[in-house]
Formats: sequence, C-alpha cells, structure tokens
Amino acid sequence: MSTISVTVNGRTYQSDVEPRTLLVHYLREQLNLTGTHIGCDTSQCGACVVHINGQSVKSCTVLAVQADGAEITTIEGLAQNGQLHPLQEGFWEKHGLQCGYCTPGMIMSAYDLLQQNPNPTEDEIRHGLEGNLCRCTGYQNIVKAVQYAADKMNGSGNSPGE
Amino acid sequence: MTALIGESLPRPDALGKVTGAANYPADLVRAGMLHLKVVFAGRAHARITAIDTAAALAYPGVVAVLTAADVPYNAFGLIDHDQPVLCADTVRFQGDKVALVVAESKRAAAAAARLVQVSYEDLPIVTDARAAMQPGAPLVHVARGSNVLFSIPIRKGDVVQAFAEADIVIEDEFSTSWQEHAFLQPEAGIAYVDEQGRVVVETAGQWLHEDRKQIAAMLGLPEDQVVIRYAAIGGAFGGREDLSIQHVLALAAWRLRKPVALVWNREESMIGHHKRHPITVRCKWGARRDGTITAVQAELLADGGAYASTSQEVTKVAAIFANGAYNVANVWVDAYAVYTNNVPSGAFRGFGAPQAQFASEIMVTRLAHALGIDPIELRRKNLYREGDIEATQRPLPPGVSVRECMEAVVTELRTRRIGDGGQGREQSHATSHLRRGIGLACGIKNVGYSFGYPEQATATVELYGEQAIERAIVRVGAADVGQGTHLAMRQIAAATLGLAPEQLTLITDDSSQAPNAGSASASRLTLMAGRAVHEAAKAALQQWQDEERPAIATVQFRPPATTALAPVTGEGTPNYCYGYVAQAVEVEVNTLTGQVQVLSIISAHDVGRAINRQQVEGQIEGCLAQALGYALLEHFQVRDGRVLTPHFSTYLLPTALDMPTEIVPIILELADPNGPFGARGMSEMALVPLAPAIASAIHDATGAWVTQQPMTPERVLAAIHAQTQAPRAGSTE
Repeated sequence: MSTISVTVNGRTYQSDVEPRTLLVHYLREQLNLTGTHIGCDTSQCGACVVHINGQSVKSCTVLAVQADGAEITTIEGLAQNGQLHPLQEGFWEKHGLQCGYCTPGMIMSAYDLLQQNPNPTEDEIRHGLEGNLCRCTGYQNIVKAVQYAADKMNGSGNSPGE
Repeated sequence: MTALIGESLPRPDALGKVTGAANYPADLVRAGMLHLKVVFAGRAHARITAIDTAAALAYPGVVAVLTAADVPYNAFGLIDHDQPVLCADTVRFQGDKVALVVAESKRAAAAAARLVQVSYEDLPIVTDARAAMQPGAPLVHVARGSNVLFSIPIRKGDVVQAFAEADIVIEDEFSTSWQEHAFLQPEAGIAYVDEQGRVVVETAGQWLHEDRKQIAAMLGLPEDQVVIRYAAIGGAFGGREDLSIQHVLALAAWRLRKPVALVWNREESMIGHHKRHPITVRCKWGARRDGTITAVQAELLADGGAYASTSQEVTKVAAIFANGAYNVANVWVDAYAVYTNNVPSGAFRGFGAPQAQFASEIMVTRLAHALGIDPIELRRKNLYREGDIEATQRPLPPGVSVRECMEAVVTELRTRRIGDGGQGREQSHATSHLRRGIGLACGIKNVGYSFGYPEQATATVELYGEQAIERAIVRVGAADVGQGTHLAMRQIAAATLGLAPEQLTLITDDSSQAPNAGSASASRLTLMAGRAVHEAAKAALQQWQDEERPAIATVQFRPPATTALAPVTGEGTPNYCYGYVAQAVEVEVNTLTGQVQVLSIISAHDVGRAINRQQVEGQIEGCLAQALGYALLEHFQVRDGRVLTPHFSTYLLPTALDMPTEIVPIILELADPNGPFGARGMSEMALVPLAPAIASAIHDATGAWVTQQPMTPERVLAAIHAQTQAPRAGSTE
C-alpha cells in the first residue's frame, strides 16, 4: 500500500492505495465518484477523462500514485454552487448526448480544449475531441454544444479556465 | 397542448448525465457485494472432459464456483433455447461460459477464475458459413443433424421466364462482415434477493419483461419472483437484446442469497455478446430496356454463429428486402442462416435490412448504368408505390413514402449544387489522386415485430387531483437506451392529457412497476409504446370525466396483425409498418491509398410525425455515424473462431474527424395510420442505404465497384486496380 494525498474537486483526501491502482479505479471505487466512466481499458474511448492540475488526462492511463499531490477535477466538480458550467448547459441544450456515457469525458476534454483555444473553429473542435468516442450522436450536436459553451463563455467575459 | 408534439424539449435525464450523477450499471456496485467473474471457453469447439474447481475454491476470498450443475434450467435464447447458461459438455465458441467464480473482491474473483481447471478435447471447427452447409461438415449442434439453423424461400411470379425475356441481366456477389455494437458502457450490473424473496437484477437491457421471462425460466421461478430494473443504459443498438450477464448475475445471487456484482471489461464485452450477421448475397437482376425491373433472384447466406439468437428473424428480414424497396413482379429468394463456431450473430440496428440492401441498391445503380438510364430515373420508375405487392405476395401496409424521401434528397442535392444527382459530373480533381464522387441510395426497414410474432404494448395512466388534474403517473415498461424514448412518452402523454410535461411522473424501468411495452428494438417504441400511452391517457381522461378519482386506465395496443411466411412460397403479410429513407453522399477517394473520406450526407426520412424534432435529428445523425463505421471502418475480424479485434485499438469506431461536417437530415411527416399523432419508427433506417450510397459514390469517383463491406482502403485499392486492369468479371453490363 502507498499513501497518497490528492485534492479532488476542492476536497483533500489521504488514501491508501495499492501501487497498481489506476486513477480511474481510485476515483470510482475509493472516492465513489462514479461520474468518471470506463469504456474501453485501452485508452481509446476517453470516457474516463479528468483534469490533473488543469490538464485533461485519460484516468485509465494514470496510476493513482502518480496523482499524489495533484489537484484533480472530475465531472462532479465542474458545476459551481449549483450552477452548471456552460459546457454542461451546452450538452443539455444542444442535445449533445443520448445515452450519456461518453458525456463526462467529452465535457472534460472540451473544457481543456476551450482553455487552450477559447474560440475554436469546428475543425479545431473535432480535432480536440478526436480522443473521445461517442457511439450515439454522430458528434454533430457535440460540436454544437462546445460552440454554445464557447460563445457563452466569451460573451459573459469569463475565462474558460476559471 | 398538441403544440408539445414536435417540440424540441430538452431531455430530463440530461442533468444527471452532464453532472456525473446518473447511475449506470457499474455505478451500482457497493462495498460488501460479492464479485462475479465469468470463465470463458476461450476456444471455438471442444468437448469438456473435466472441470476441477478445487484450486479456485481454495483461493482466499472465493465464496463459490458455479458450473452447469448449478443451473436449474440450463438453456436460454430469445427464440430457440439452444444456448446453455453454463456449458456442461461442449463449448461451441470462444465466448461460451463454462464457470462463474464468486469472490469477496474483484481481484480475488479474477485470480481464482484463472485457477478453474477445465480439461478439453478439441473438436473440428467450422467457421465458414458455406462450408458449414456442406455434407460432412463438423456439426455445431450434433443433435440437430445439420448446421442449417433456418432457411426460407420466397417465390413470386416466374423468374425463369422473366430473365429469359429481360433485355439486360446482371449478376454479382456481395459480402458484409460482423459489426460490433460498441455501446460505450460495457455490460455490468448487480443482483440480490430482496426482503420479499424475489431475485432482483439491476442492469441495462432492451426489454424488462423478456429478461424477466428468460431468467425466471432459468431459475424455475414464477415470473413475479424475478424483478428486472434498468439503470441508466449506456447504449444498446440491439446488443443488449440477448442475455449476456443478466442471467448469470441472477443465478449467482439466487444460489448464494447475497448481493453479487459483475462488470465486464471491453474485451469481455466484445467476445461475450452477439454481433451483426455477416451475410453473403449472390444475386441476379433483370430489366427491360424501358427500365422496368422485371426479376430478382438472390441467395442470402448468413453466418449465425454458435447459437440461434435472433437469426431466424434477421434472415427473414434480409430475405424480404432482397429486392430492396422496388416493385418487382418476379422474385426468387433462398435465404439461409447457418451455425458455425463463430461468435453468435443477432440483433443490431437494421436487423438484416442493411446487408440485403447493400446488394440491392448497388445492383439498381448498376442496372441503370447498363441501361444508360439515370439511376434516379430508374428508381422513379421502380420504387414502391402505395398498394404495391411485396415479394411475399401481399400489399404493402399503407403509407408508402420511399419516393417522397428520394425526391426530397434529389431536391436538396440540386439546391446545394452537390453534383447533378450522380450522373456524368465533372471531376473537380480529374488529374489528382483525390477524386470526388456522389452516390444515392434508398432504403426500407420494418417498424415493429414481423412474421406473426405477437406484437403489443401496454401502458397505464393514472390521474390524480380534486377538481382539476394535478398530476399524472405514466407506467410503461419501455427502455430508454439513449434514444430518447422516455421524453417521447412524456410528450405524447402530456399532449394527450393537456398537462405540462413536468406534471407527469414516468415509471419505466422496473418490471414489477411498469407493464410490458415490448422491446426497445425494431424502431418500435415511439409507435407502439407511444400509441399505448396515448390510448391509456385518453381512457384515463374519460374516467376522469366520469368523476373517478383517481382515474386509472390500462390499455394494451395491438397493431394490425402480421403472419408467418408460408414455408414453400414465403407468402404472407410480414409487417404492419415500414420506415422509408433515401440518402445521397459525396466522398473523396484517395486513389493511392484507397482511403475514403465522406464529405457530406443528405438523409431523408419519413418519420410520420416527429414527436421531438431534436431527438429525431439526433437519432438520424447518430445512426449515420454507425452506418459510416459499418461501411468503411469497422472490420470485426475472426480467425478460426477467435476474435482478433477485441479492443477499440483494433476495432475502429468513427471519431469526430471521420464524420462529415455536412450532415443534412430531412424529416418528412407523412402520417402513419397507427402511430400516435401519426408517428412511425425511424431509428434504424439511416443504417440501411449509407453503405451502398458510399459504394456508388466510390464508383462515381473511380469507376470501381467495391462489393465487400467494410470498404477498407485495401479493398477500395484492390477494386481500383482490378478496374484499371481488366473489365469486371461476372458482369454482363
């Protein structure tokens, strides 16, 4: 067992983990944060994307011990004070989800994308989400959801990384 | 309140899905539950000579190892009960289940599963559908005496005379491959025995009451002692129609009287559940010089894999669409499904229609070329009209709209100035290795159950209040696998009752709380469950007006009857409703690499009435992505019965970059006589014509026909090379 200290969605945890524990398993099974999903085990699908120190990462490719000392944000930490993030609103408003299983990972990847590029073109959005698979929507409305969020975040003067 | 019909209301379930609060089956696993691990056969065909569970049982934390002897009734299946829950003496494909290890931790279950010692004596395998039909082929099910799982002839008119009198006859062979559903949420669930002594299974599926029926039969329990509940379902597409993990969870919980959890990884999912049928179509089409298609002869051969699943029904659906959506006076079809030692084939969005019409749509375009007629004109001349007679010698159900779909596509093509409809277009890159082409195809697919299978949906509507109706409860056991059915039911009920959607409570996901609305399959729930909800709401309103408080009405809706197909002629009324579709695509083919990029898709659908326009468009777009993967990318490969592509690293799904940025869904609303507010099903239809439309576009770009699906770069390149070297063999065009 190794002891790690991580801050997840603003809350600090000291946890004992087996060194081979993947971050996604730690989040889901030890912290019961089940909004981060597992879709493939081989780092193709992106359903497990979270942020480590502000960067999007597939949490099935990271060991929990590698996150020691890090700040982690999961989908559960995106809404602030009961207020949905514009991306969450966008996926709802623009019908960017059907079964919804890919949605948390999509939103977390899109968040990182907008942080780096607040005004992405459609092509840049598609490239930015290339590592996230969706089997339901055909991606059209996912692109629209990200555009909705970008417009809203720019219009309201908020920086995407806030 | 009928203004609610067609309105793009946002989905109530989206809040949980964008915040991570929604619980999918794997999210139900709690500390203290036992964990189940399946021991798979891992080989295509073998006799089990011994199973030694001692080492696994001795592993720390292991509670039980279950084998065939622990299963009260060890057979299941949607149609034939030909599949063992746990194999006793023979394994017939890689994903056959041999034992279940139940342990206090996931890790212990996995470790102990590797210690289950199964001794096998390998048997000869048969993995090619045609070889399986030959005398002397190894038998997959010895007791049946033959590998032919099912066959059906369809005979209409006199094809011999029609071919003799035809001005042009063309022949070819087409093949399609397996397709994996690849719902993003792998199979998972929990099961336990509740305080009333009922075995409860919480999981994902497509039909609460069918899961319940099969599990009750397996355990030898009355159906009301089994409860199925669905968590949030992470996609299905037909892939959750067969039992995969639901029954083994129930078995373990029932045997051990303790809560048990099971979460499959992707590889287990890929190996463990059925696929779309690979079908080979050999066909011959004849026409007169004036463009009348006079005869179609086809042999369809489907690889059913090791167990029946829904092979019989898929094969029949493929057979009745051998002539596509065309009125042909003389039709001769022989369709077969055969057992092999491959992964079982079963339901997948489209259910036989895409395979058959990959062949028929390409043949129609090639007939047009051979006759020197515009492919659109040839379709205009031959597409089904109201009252036309199907290959099964009965009139089509009313509401035939494939022509309207095609005309909508043609208009859109011209408006957008994408080519001139597929004929003689100038190549924009005539000298380049990137060549563009346009293709068009049409499609037909049944809505609802076919061939006399009992079709019904039941719903209950309860109205509460004093003077005015304050709230309503709608009970309808209809699975929302992501397609948006629950919102459609809410809109239909609210519109019928004159209530705001928020005044309704829907109870949909518990077999003990909601009546049987049938499966989330065959594009049927909006029409069937929606009509049941609509009728139950009307009946409850009537009771309300008669001063009953609360007013509660249950209605079972049954559509017009269908019939089984006659065994010698295939005669009968196969369906009560069809969905129609037409599509045009523009592609760019790289003639050096064989890669095909789809640049734009126009997809026109008659949906009868869009209950929620945004959801309908979402279904079209999502289905197109699956169709594009099927046409070009998704190459499920099996060698000697072993799956070579059990991960997303080797089985490639379309990403956001594979999809065209231009997708134009066109929604026609030509009311269906049976659907609520005229709605008819639409969720599968986009999968039917896309592959042949892309094949025609590749031909338009390069002059080469690709007749194998998926149309991988290697196959496209081979077709281009063959075309430049020699005239196509096997064709008289």
